[in-house]
Amino acid sequence: MTFIKNVRNALIILSSLTLFQITVFASDLTDVTNIVNKANMASYYSGEDGRAQARMIIVDTQGNKQMRQFTILRKDQEDLGNQYMLVFFSRPTDVKGTVFRVTKKVNNDDDRWLYLPALDLVKRISAGDKRTSFVGSHFYYEDVSGRNPQEDTFTLVNTTHDSYILSAKPKKPDTVEFAHYKIVINKQTFIPMEVNYYNAQGDEIRKMEVLKTKEVDGFTTVLHSKITQISDGSYTEMQFRKVKYNLGIPNSVFSERSLRTPPKSWLK
Amino acid sequence: MPYTRILQLAITKPKWVYTIVSVLALVSLLMMPLIQIDTDPENMLSKDAPARVFHNQTKTDFFMQDMIVVGLVSKTNIFTPQTLKAIETLTTKILTIDGVIDEDLLSLSVVDNITQEVSETGEKSIRFQYLMKKAPSTDHASNDLQDAIKRLPMLNNTLVSGDNKAIAIYVPIKSKDMSYDIAQQIRAYTSNISTDADFHITGLPVAEDQFGYEMFVQMGVAAPLAGLAIFVLLWYFFRNLPLIIAPMIVAMATVVIIMGSLIGLGFTVHIMSSMIAIFLMPIAVVDSVHILSEFADRFKQGDDAKNTVKKVMSHLYTPMLFTSITSAVGFYSLMLTPIPPVKIFGAFIGTGILLAFTLTITFIPAYISRMTPQALGRLQQAVQRMEAKGKLALVLEKLGGFSVSNSKFIMIGFVVAFALSIQGISKIEINDNPVNWFKANHEIRVADKVLNSHFAGTYDAWLVFKSNNKASDETLLAFNQLVGQLSTQSQELNSLKSYIEQSTHSMSFFTQELIVLLDDLSFSALESDEETLETLIQLADKEFNNSKAFLNPELLTWMDELQSALIATGMVGKVNGLPDIVKTVNRELRSGEQSDFIIPSSSNAVAQTLLQYQSSHRPQDLWHFVTKNYQQSLLWLQMTSGDNQHTTKVVEWVDGYVSKHPLPDGITYDWAGKSYLNIVWQDAMVSGMVDSLMSSFVIVFLMMVLLFRSIKYGVLAMLPLTFTITMIYGLIGWVGKAYDMPIAVLSALTLGLSIDFAIHFLQRVRELEKETQSLTTALSLMFNEPARAISRNAIVVAIGFTPLLLSPLMPYITVGVFLASIMALSAIVTLVLLPALMTTFSANKATAVS
Repeated sequence: MTFIKNVRNALIILSSLTLFQITVFASDLTDVTNIVNKANMASYYSGEDGRAQARMIIVDTQGNKQMRQFTILRKDQEDLGNQYMLVFFSRPTDVKGTVFRVTKKVNNDDDRWLYLPALDLVKRISAGDKRTSFVGSHFYYEDVSGRNPQEDTFTLVNTTHDSYILSAKPKKPDTVEFAHYKIVINKQTFIPMEVNYYNAQGDEIRKMEVLKTKEVDGFTTVLHSKITQISDGSYTEMQFRKVKYNLGIPNSVFSERSLRTPPKSWLK
Repeated sequence: MPYTRILQLAITKPKWVYTIVSVLALVSLLMMPLIQIDTDPENMLSKDAPARVFHNQTKTDFFMQDMIVVGLVSKTNIFTPQTLKAIETLTTKILTIDGVIDEDLLSLSVVDNITQEVSETGEKSIRFQYLMKKAPSTDHASNDLQDAIKRLPMLNNTLVSGDNKAIAIYVPIKSKDMSYDIAQQIRAYTSNISTDADFHITGLPVAEDQFGYEMFVQMGVAAPLAGLAIFVLLWYFFRNLPLIIAPMIVAMATVVIIMGSLIGLGFTVHIMSSMIAIFLMPIAVVDSVHILSEFADRFKQGDDAKNTVKKVMSHLYTPMLFTSITSAVGFYSLMLTPIPPVKIFGAFIGTGILLAFTLTITFIPAYISRMTPQALGRLQQAVQRMEAKGKLALVLEKLGGFSVSNSKFIMIGFVVAFALSIQGISKIEINDNPVNWFKANHEIRVADKVLNSHFAGTYDAWLVFKSNNKASDETLLAFNQLVGQLSTQSQELNSLKSYIEQSTHSMSFFTQELIVLLDDLSFSALESDEETLETLIQLADKEFNNSKAFLNPELLTWMDELQSALIATGMVGKVNGLPDIVKTVNRELRSGEQSDFIIPSSSNAVAQTLLQYQSSHRPQDLWHFVTKNYQQSLLWLQMTSGDNQHTTKVVEWVDGYVSKHPLPDGITYDWAGKSYLNIVWQDAMVSGMVDSLMSSFVIVFLMMVLLFRSIKYGVLAMLPLTFTITMIYGLIGWVGKAYDMPIAVLSALTLGLSIDFAIHFLQRVRELEKETQSLTTALSLMFNEPARAISRNAIVVAIGFTPLLLSPLMPYITVGVFLASIMALSAIVTLVLLPALMTTFSANKATAVS
């Protein structure tokens, strides 16, 4: 795994030198599993750990806005493997202090807990459906924590001058709201720049698009993305700020204790 | 131009008249295909009526859509794998229909269940999952589903009936005019699903669309039938085809030109205007019948038809002008009501009557003057037949003798009838219900009845609460001063400033929008501004947070108590509101027991509870009950009756409740929803009708004084219609027929139509009295030809309206029945009351003189 990361880092450094070198190094991949793994890596496993401040703006069909602000802490147990995650809410003020604690498991159901300060309540969130709304936004839990690639069957549909275009079909169609989806993955960064979800009739129902990426600590990082519900045009934009990788956050931070007493030093 | 010259022109240049009429009719016919049907009861209120504006604002604010309700009703128990499978299959099919708003569709297979799950270690976890993504395959699992629904107050008795015999699917649609098509597609799907339960489809949009469809049928069938009925009657009276074609042409041309111009001018055809054709048809032939009767009477073999026509017209012109103007005034007075469709109806019928008059006094003379000598010769036979004493003539003569000789008894009789009628009027129940516009056995009404007998109610009213608390001027000032201190120059600051400019005077200044702008600015801001910005953000955040009134547990508890009290009245089947959501989520976050089915104790706790609710598959469901700024909240009342009286009672009850249990400061409430709109336009109609009736009464009276140049005759002319209107409405009161929209409109018609008889009667009596120098002789002569003409006309008009009785829609039937009775009654009142009154008056005068 670290090998891949090294290659990728080298790639990024080299690619910034000349345009010519990009085409030399970025010879097209043909193994779909390889592409999927690289994309998963680039999207959810940058660095050993990371922190970001997120702002979601949920916009309905009438243009009414709702804002959610939270800080995410993440630590990988291994690349493409299990992960710890903490989500601390700061706005709206009335939900300030609400925390999600997640242990993402690749070969098992995730463990999820919730802390509601005003009710002084720690509650486990049942495993099961992860395609429910993340705090009222158009993002699902799975969009935030990453959908397990093992859930879908991928095929490489097309390779264009800058993208790999993949098609994915769910292995258990009954557990999801879509029939299949299409991913456009950037050849250089392996960031999925656009994902389109379709229903059984073949109509597009949902779209994820990346609006802005930036290199942070050597990792191409999505700073601005958007999920749109096609049927009515309502959408949620998610922006990240103050992104940092490889902070050296200890495992102990990701314990239940952090729910009631947020680890302030790691949130700054 | 005086009428004699117009008449001369019409007679000498008949082809001009023909050409003008044909061109007008042809142009109007070309307009017909542009027809737009409007069946939305909402249009009974003008677009800017406050109640309607608020209703639509509520629909926007709370994302409310028009819904088709599909019900599956079983005789025994609906929770069987088979019927649940039927629901799942049907839901999947419905979701593929174009025009259905998928994300707001409510069905067992798409809604969420919120539960507690106990892990192996005994830890309880909260779980959002689809209630029934796949229909269960066993009876046991079906029963589990039943138990789950009982725990979800938002769904229980809304999606599944309390008696477990019916399941509903609520299908929101993008546009009301798609509802008939969508309902047809759903019907097609249901016919392919094998289940022993019955499918029913209802909902206001379906009813409205269906109504529009049947209105078309109505217009296409009833109006031609009315024409046919009149034609047959005229044939019966005159037996002269060329002669009776003339009034038919006048009637047809009037109807075509009026409907064509209504459509051409861009007016929609509403239930009221759809009746224009059938109203104008009989009214338009009445004047022609007068002319034909008198022409047939006077014309002798060898006469010059043109001269006879001139004589007849000089004789009839004034009374015809006055009857037409008074009838028109009766209808024009409807324009005083605040109800747009009634206004249009009144305006176009009023104009139609004047048009019919114009056509009659030009076209009929032109037509007669062009008739062949043979055709005119045949008139003799007709005249003889009419002179011959038929049954009608005999009855009328007896009636005349009776009314003159028993004048005192008749007067007493009328006074008694009048008193009884007044008592009847006091019993009138004002009520309406658009679903009752269908006959009792119509599938829409059957579905309505079945679904309302199982569920908490398919009639909606929305009680909307609003917080009017504004930020103080000092806070605004402080905020603006801080903004003035910012030195950063950026696009973000400009956005902020333009927001401030636009929103300073609006109800809510400290909004989510403002906080987003400040937050955006904080990322482009100079370091020197950071502190000021932080203060600004905190200030805005605090104010915004304080403005979220509907997170306040006290207010939610108040609403919760109102909900329970409303249910306890028995008038409301169910009330859905924000407190139900909060309590349900709170219960599942905590123990899952009934004891935790409560509203948490702080605003933040409510907010955090609701944040969890938004972690389901359907976070959007929340926004039907509270706005995103938490400054408005809606209670959805489900009622089993759509009667206006029922809604009125509920509205009055809530007013009483609020005065006893005052709302917290700054919170106001108002009503929306179709059931509420119905009572608003009904009130407007009742008071509007009184205005319109009174004003036309005064105008017609003044016209009568002018026509007869006598106050006495003016009063006499008004008496028959006064009695007729009083007796008709007295009868409605006694029979117990609800005073609804069609009944209300009838008052104006009575006024316009029954004055006709009085005018003709009094005009002729006066003439005859002058000729014979004796009222007694004049009255007995009256009961020959003139009374026959009046009766003939009453019969023509009354029969002309009877095809309305064949209609599948109740308002048309009501109008048909009552118009026929009005015509009969006002003819009788005229023929009985007026002679009696005149005899009494002159007897008194004679006594006084001697």
